[in-house]
Amino acid sequence: MNMSTRMIGSLATAAVATAVLATAAIAGTDVQSALLAQWRVDAGQEFSAARGRALFERRANDWSCSSCHTADPRATGRHVVTEKSIRPLAPASNPRRFTDRTKVEKWFRRNCNDVLNRDCTALEKGDVLTYLVSLK
Amino acid sequence: MKAQMTTAAGNGTVASVRVWDVPVRVFHWLLVISFGAAYLLGDSERWRQIHVMFGYTVLGLIAFRILWGFVGTRYARFTSFLHGPRAALRYVGSLASRKPEHHVGHNPAGSWAVYAMLALGVATGLSGYLTLNEFGGDAVEELHEILANTWLVVVFVHVAGVIASSVAHRENLARAMLTGYKRGDGESIRASVSSPRRPIVGVLLASAVLIFWLGSLLIGGPTIIERSSQATMAQTAEDDDD
Repeated sequence: MNMSTRMIGSLATAAVATAVLATAAIAGTDVQSALLAQWRVDAGQEFSAARGRALFERRANDWSCSSCHTADPRATGRHVVTEKSIRPLAPASNPRRFTDRTKVEKWFRRNCNDVLNRDCTALEKGDVLTYLVSLK
Repeated sequence: MKAQMTTAAGNGTVASVRVWDVPVRVFHWLLVISFGAAYLLGDSERWRQIHVMFGYTVLGLIAFRILWGFVGTRYARFTSFLHGPRAALRYVGSLASRKPEHHVGHNPAGSWAVYAMLALGVATGLSGYLTLNEFGGDAVEELHEILANTWLVVVFVHVAGVIASSVAHRENLARAMLTGYKRGDGESIRASVSSPRRPIVGVLLASAVLIFWLGSLLIGGPTIIERSSQATMAQTAEDDDD
C-alpha cells in the first residue's frame, strides 16, 4: 500500500466515524425532543436547567446523581459501589447518550430509585435532561 | 432410616421413603434464595455487588448440581429422570384423571422444569457476567434480562406444577424437598433403606456458599457511604449505564 492509498483509507474511516456520530447526534436530538415534549405535557410546566443541575447534585439520602456521574456530567464518571468507569452522561461529550428511549426510561427508573428511593416525576426527568443537553 | 416408614416394606405397600439426599435439598433452597435475591436486587446499583454475588452463587450451585447429577445418590442422578416430552405431557394429562401417575423421584414434567431451570440459570449467570464485564453491550444486557424473566416464568410454572401434583397425589411435595421423604413403592422402599443421605456433602456445599457470602459482604457490602476522593481505581472498563 502506498501513501495515498493509506490516506484515502484513513479519510474513509474518519468519514464513516463522523457519519455514525452525526447520525447518533441527530437521532439523539430527535429522541431528546420527543422525551422532553412528552414529559412537558405530564409535568404541566417548563423545564429548567438550573433546577436540573440542583437535583443532579443534591444528595437525597447518601447518594446524588453526581455520586457516580460526578459534578461534571461531561466527564467520565465512577460507580461508587463497583468503582467501574462510567462513560460521560452529557451528549456534548458522548453523543450516544439519550438516543434510545427505552434505555433512557429504564435508567431513569433504576437510578432514581437508587438516589431518591422512588421514581422521578416527569418534571424532575425533564429538568435533568434539559440540564444535561444544555452542557456544551 | 426405618423410623420414617409408616408400614413394613413390601411390594405394593405405601410407605415414606428417602428420596432427596441432603445435597439436593441444600442446593434447591440455596438456589431459591440466590435467584430470588438476585432478581429482586437486579435494578439497583446500590446492591450491585450483592446481585453479582448471588449470580456467582447460582453458577457455582448449578455447577455442583450438574456434577451431582452424575455422582449423586439414586434420585439425584440425571439417569433417574431422563423423561421425553411425550412422557411429560402424559403425566400432566394424568394429573386431572382419577388415577394420576405417581413417580418416586422427579416426575416427567418436573424433570423438564429442572432441566429448563439449570439451563436458564447457566445462561442467565453467564450473560450477567458478560454484562458486568461489558462484552456485547446493550444486546447482552437485554438478553440477561430476558433470560432472568424467562427463568422467573419457569419458576412459577414449577411452583404451579408442585401444587397441582401435591393436590393430585395428596402429598406435600414442597415439604418433601425439606425433609427428603416422599411416598414410595415396594421397589423404591428397599432402595431407600440403603440409599445414603450424604449429609457431609450437603454441609460442605452449604459451608462453601456461606463462606463465599460472608467474604463478599466483608469486601463489598451493601453499606454504601459516599466515597468522594478515593483515588485508586483498578478497572479500566467503561460503562454507559451503571
